[in-house]
Amino acid sequence: MKILSDIAALLTGMWITWKHIFRRPVTIQYPEEKRTPYPRYRARIVLTRDPDGGERCVACQLCSAACPVDCISMQPGEEADGRRYAEWFRINFARCIFCGLCAEACPTLAIQMTPDFEICKRDIMDLVYEKEDLLIDGCGKSPEYNFYRHAGIGVTQQRGEGIEEKRPVDVRSLLP
Amino acid sequence: MPKLIIDNIPVEVADGVTVLEAAQSVDIPIPHFCWHPALGKAGACRVCAVKMVDGPVKGIQMSCMLPAQDGMVVSTTDPEAVAMRRNVIEWLMINHPHDCPVCDEGGECQLQDYTIAGGHGIRRYSGTKRTHINQDLGPYIEHEMNRCIQCYRCVRFYQEYAGGTDFGVMGSAGRVYYGRFEDGQLESPFSGNLVDICPTGVFTDKTARFKARYWDYDMAPSVCPGCSLGCNTTPVARYRELLKMTARRNEAVNGWFICDRSRFANDAVNDPQRPRTPLIDGREASRDEALEALLLRIAQIEELYGSGSIAVVGSSRLALEGAALLPRLAECCSAGALCYFTSQEESDRTLPLIELLSSGKPASQRDVRESDCIVVCGCDPLQKAPMLALAVRQAWRNGAAVYVVPFGSAQGTEGVQKSTILQMNRWLSGVEASQEPKRLYDAISVHSLDAVPLADAKQPVLICSATNAPDRLAETLEQQSNLKLAVIFPAANSYVAAQLAGAHGAVSLEHAVATGKIKGIIAVEADIPPQLLEGIPFVAALDWRMTETVQAAQIVLPTTAWVEMDGTCINNEGRAQRFKKVMNPGVPVRGLDPAGHPPHIHRTIPPGGEPQPAWQTVAALIEGLCGEQITEPLSGKWERLQELAAESEGVMINDL
Ligand code: SF4
Ligand code: SF4
Ligand code: SF4
Ligand code: SF4
Repeated sequence: MKILSDIAALLTGMWITWKHIFRRPVTIQYPEEKRTPYPRYRARIVLTRDPDGGERCVACQLCSAACPVDCISMQPGEEADGRRYAEWFRINFARCIFCGLCAEACPTLAIQMTPDFEICKRDIMDLVYEKEDLLIDGCGKSPEYNFYRHAGIGVTQQRGEGIEEKRPVDVRSLLP
Repeated sequence: MPKLIIDNIPVEVADGVTVLEAAQSVDIPIPHFCWHPALGKAGACRVCAVKMVDGPVKGIQMSCMLPAQDGMVVSTTDPEAVAMRRNVIEWLMINHPHDCPVCDEGGECQLQDYTIAGGHGIRRYSGTKRTHINQDLGPYIEHEMNRCIQCYRCVRFYQEYAGGTDFGVMGSAGRVYYGRFEDGQLESPFSGNLVDICPTGVFTDKTARFKARYWDYDMAPSVCPGCSLGCNTTPVARYRELLKMTARRNEAVNGWFICDRSRFANDAVNDPQRPRTPLIDGREASRDEALEALLLRIAQIEELYGSGSIAVVGSSRLALEGAALLPRLAECCSAGALCYFTSQEESDRTLPLIELLSSGKPASQRDVRESDCIVVCGCDPLQKAPMLALAVRQAWRNGAAVYVVPFGSAQGTEGVQKSTILQMNRWLSGVEASQEPKRLYDAISVHSLDAVPLADAKQPVLICSATNAPDRLAETLEQQSNLKLAVIFPAANSYVAAQLAGAHGAVSLEHAVATGKIKGIIAVEADIPPQLLEGIPFVAALDWRMTETVQAAQIVLPTTAWVEMDGTCINNEGRAQRFKKVMNPGVPVRGLDPAGHPPHIHRTIPPGGEPQPAWQTVAALIEGLCGEQITEPLSGKWERLQELAAESEGVMINDL
């Protein structure tokens, strides 16, 4: 009987509606109410510092190469002690899709994603973040890593005194 | 002609060709570090291992050391060979520092490529690494010895190929060290090639240190404007700044290398003083305003002083496109003179040589390298055209006899004039005119051309300079039918200038000014000596360099540098070569705000990005003067050059 199955369908729908009316809501009254995202949430990007307080970013351009929307640009430079760093570093958050590939590519753990997703501006140009807007005063995740302690180019310690290094060889020695 | 089978593909190669090259000829890549086409084999890196399945030799072999033989069956994919290569790369990486992120080679590093391609992705060794102390090798080359994988390419190039004596390999066992006896600038004027030839980041270009990465480079095939040889280069730019120059292979011309004069000469393009905005009497103007003002002044000069009072002046650094339009421009403004040379002497000396070259047999750098008898006649190639000296050295290494004939100005001052870059190389500052460049090749000094046993030579080459050519050149060439001639001209496009000057009856500016009729000069990338401009009421300059002529000009129309445009140049043999646009013109991003970051501004044209190639400005003038629209500068005789590909070996214009 077609009419009976139609009534059954109507009642089922009604039952679901009423069931949900008495459930606890899943939505919240954002922005009055806020929810804390998980620590691994991928939102606003920061540049972190190493445990010694130095800038971690060495401007190696791997993040900008990995970025699928090309929103990272920078200019590497050299400090007096031979340290490679970013003279300027820019992320265009109007373009960023928060995929996290930059953070994955970064060999120094400098660039990291934070859970801060509240980046809205009235002027789109304000979404272009420069190094001073990105650089934070902390290590973020992985607080113990300092790339220059492992790199072997004598920036944070003398050459040959890094963690995985032997003392420099004496070329003029004839000993075996 | 051995026939062999590589990975099931039958290959036939010439005698003496290695298995590695045989595989390359059918596009089978075999990893290699120490082998290099220009340097040959060393068998030092052990990374080109292949498995010989059948034939005269069996088992794992180094493909770079093994000449191809009949009946060989080679497998590059055999598990044993693959495992061997993977293990070798792992050994090479044991001492390698963890510094790709701060290494300028990163992204263009053969070691990175083969490490990943060889299947060694994760480090297993956790012991300590050997380290080295670096040397200061001067302002051009950075040294980072920790990265070395002992392939010996650098020494083989520096000592054997380029004849340098101040750099070599020292130490023993795990301590081998590639460097100088003490800190100091590398002396060879070819030292920059270490940057290209080292498969790792031991030698990197200090002038481009920490500037950009390979994947961000603006690159295009180009041609060196440093001298008349026209060596092939790949300039590298980023953010409108010319960062570095690398060599580009052209077997007919420079082979694999370039000289330091070319490699470390980016300052002219990056010069903050470069003219970038059109000027009318010192006031900044738009390009259209300046063009209009120029047309007006041309008309005024003609009205005041009569027709024939304008001189159109080109130069021997102007590209063919611009130079070929000048005769039409001269017609359109009923110019009294069309000039490609400022000095009468240079014009007189160059024109006959061009005639000789176009009827005779010009020698390419390849001809020089393959020659068995070379006569260097009254010039020092090392100073005027360094790569030619390197070519002579290669011939000498292969047993050619080199004769030196000092005469004319070579006995006096020729050769003392040194280019700025080369002057910095101590090698050259020690070379006086009387001292032939012995270090590159041993030469037999003879008093005249007749004393050279040319008749016995199979492929003799005569090298001379346009400023000091021997008198009986034509006769000698006629007598000796297999003799080829290499002339060193003063500038990159001297050939173009002389060709066109001859074809269009151009005079020298010196001569034109001496008649007293010239009252206005349109200088297109021309360097005019100030004394010739005295008493000339009107000068207009089209140029990309801040020359004295530009400073003296009332109207300045900036043009693009060679890396900012497509163009054609013709080298000393009459070989037309195309160079492509590498970067957009404009003030480098670095120059906009040196302290901070680039400004947040949307623009379609960068600041200072308006200049056009010289030929387009000349074409605009022609259009303004006689209404003729020119969209293609290469027409008539040059039409076939329109299709010239930059990656080709070039086209001899004698064949056009
Ligand atoms: S990948 Fe990391 S170290 Fe490299 S430029 Fe980006 S943030 Fe800096
Ligand atoms: S030489 Fe190559 S592998 Fe070594 S640090 Fe430099 S880029 Fe990395
Ligand atoms: S310095 Fe470079 S070219 Fe020389 S041996 Fe080491 S890796 Fe090879
Ligand atoms: S020899 Fe001349 S053309 Fe060749 S690279 Fe040197 S300066 Fe340039």
